[in-house]
Amino acid sequence: MSLQTNNGTSSHSPLVCLQSLNKEYGNFTAVDHINLNIQKGEFLTFLGSSGSGKSTTLSMIAGFETPTSGEILLNEHSLIQIPSHKRGIGMVFQHYSLFPHMNVRDNIGFPLDIRKIPKAERDKKVDDILKLVQLETFADRRPSMLSGGQKQRVAIARALVYEPDILLMDEPLGALDKKLREDLQDELRLLHKRLGITIIYVTHDQDEAMRLSERIAIFKEGKIVGLGTGKDLYRKPPNAFVASFLGSSNFLKVKVSGPNSATFEGQTIQLDSEHDVPFNQQALLMIRPENLQVLSEDQATQSPIQTDENEAFGTVNESVFLGESLTCSITTADGSLVTSKSIATDLPEIEPGAKVRLRWKVQHSSVYSKWERSDIEKDAS
Amino acid sequence: MLLSQGSMGWKLKSSLYVITGAIAAFLALPIFFIVALSFGSSRWLVFPPPKWTLKWYEKFFENPQWIDSAMTSLQVALLTSVIATLIALPASFALVRGKFKGRDYLYSLFTLPMIVPVVIIAVAVYGVFLNLGLTGTLFAFVVSHVIVALPFAVISIINSLRLFDKSIEDAAVICGAHRLQAIFKVTFPSIKPGIFAGALFAFLVSWDEVVISVMMASPELQTLPVKMWSTLRQDLTPVIAVASTLLIFLSLIIMVMAGLARRYSNR
Ligand SMILES: Nc1ncnc2c1ncn2[C@@H]1O[C@H](COP(=O)(O)OP(=O)(O)OP(=O)(O)O)[C@@H](O)[C@H]1O
Ligand SMILES: [Mg+2]
Repeated sequence: MSLQTNNGTSSHSPLVCLQSLNKEYGNFTAVDHINLNIQKGEFLTFLGSSGSGKSTTLSMIAGFETPTSGEILLNEHSLIQIPSHKRGIGMVFQHYSLFPHMNVRDNIGFPLDIRKIPKAERDKKVDDILKLVQLETFADRRPSMLSGGQKQRVAIARALVYEPDILLMDEPLGALDKKLREDLQDELRLLHKRLGITIIYVTHDQDEAMRLSERIAIFKEGKIVGLGTGKDLYRKPPNAFVASFLGSSNFLKVKVSGPNSATFEGQTIQLDSEHDVPFNQQALLMIRPENLQVLSEDQATQSPIQTDENEAFGTVNESVFLGESLTCSITTADGSLVTSKSIATDLPEIEPGAKVRLRWKVQHSSVYSKWERSDIEKDAS
Repeated sequence: MLLSQGSMGWKLKSSLYVITGAIAAFLALPIFFIVALSFGSSRWLVFPPPKWTLKWYEKFFENPQWIDSAMTSLQVALLTSVIATLIALPASFALVRGKFKGRDYLYSLFTLPMIVPVVIIAVAVYGVFLNLGLTGTLFAFVVSHVIVALPFAVISIINSLRLFDKSIEDAAVICGAHRLQAIFKVTFPSIKPGIFAGALFAFLVSWDEVVISVMMASPELQTLPVKMWSTLRQDLTPVIAVASTLLIFLSLIIMVMAGLARRYSNR
């Protein structure tokens, strides 16, 4: 295999560095002063809803769009003045973008032909990579004779064959059906592990982002509003938008009453110490449905509340059994609507109308001082 | 589809067939008559022809004037087609890809010769070439034909360029190809059918152009339609029917080729 695996470089400077990167179309800001470092060998995903600026950012790295201002560094050298074809970047597009008049072999060989690689070496590289993406038997077919998944594998092979510093992928699996998408996600993850290449991946599918990436950058209106591993972003969302964007969430309005306490519907509850909300201010408490434990009154009296737990009162509206889990919709004493999700092994007695206790661990809640209506209205279902 | 055949009554359906057939006949009959007359024995173009003969074809091919004008037509049409396509290619890229003020106006300008009455263009072009003393030259024929043929080439190429997914070209660029290299190696081969169809349409426009050609022509240099026109005014001979038949024949071939190219490009 001619593609080298990345054996951990000693230098700690990032491979790609976006500095205050900005793109405006007229007076519309598509990308708003983004700062981001991407390490060598990393699999980073841009996740965000439609129009949030993911593709525009990727296009600027690829050189198809010129930044209005800001800097892009690759290996500490500015890319701004370098045309796309000299950046040494690989890219995979959503609609495969294979050359229709060339067969698979020539599609993959194209970057090598452009670089005037000697024929023997070119053929060997193409053969190696054909094997890697398991397309040896299709080498002589035209793209129109391939399935969607095969086309995308050709596109990936074409982008990898010249060993680029970095591979950009803009919703590469977006045009495929669900089953195929999951298969290719697994293949891609293995490929990344095996080759150690740096990948920047764009998607608006959060499952895909979680499944594939080491880090996720969450885009909103041209800004990165969350950056971290999928686990961290999910467990400790940096803001209410990320909390509601990733997975589902419950939001409770509380009033801060001390360094790590607040009142919710007249009851004092404990807060996780990491928060910056001033005393007596309204704050938003976020709890994931699976962290919200529902107990019937009987159960509650049998198992006393732990020191790291909070409790609230509610009434069950509806409970839905979903096989592996049980989802309950509950109205709290003062009328907030929350959802809980419990593993359906030991089912509590919860019929609609039943009085229940809600319990959650302090470390499972997040507190926000600022939020927008749209952040908390998206969910609640 | 509003007009789905399955949902129609037989009355509506059959009357639709009759009307369609009538219109088709109306369009095709003149061609049919001309072709029949070119093989008819009557000097006076009697229909139906009393007897069938090839003598008018002999007359046509014996007369160097007819042959010369046919060759001139072919030459002008070929040159027009090539030049119009060569101009249309970069123009189409600018009109589709360019981001500049007045792009849409420029597009209108390029298609204007299709809308402006040909007589007006003919008079204008005639005036210019008369001043330059260039009427009756191949140059004048080709330049004036390019003017009216260009919109057809531009429209055909623009359509295929709009359908072409630009990310394919971008893919070639990110693979290391210079933008121009990518256009030549990837974009052109992909839109080849559209370019080909545009060239054929340009050829056709020139091939049967008569209004401008009449003004550009001199006794020494004239295209086939001009020769037909001038012959017609002196003498109504079946040789004209022969020339028409040949004209139609070549046009038909070109139309079929253009159609095939189009079908190929839409796949
Ligand atoms: N050439 C352009 N001219 C004007 N506005 C543009 C242009 N390209 C993109 N935009 C705008 O910039 C914003 C960001 O677009 P971008 O394509 O980066 O979004 P995205 O996050 O990739 O969305 P999607 O998930 O739909 O692909 C959008 O609102 C879009 O309308
Ligand atoms: Mg996009």
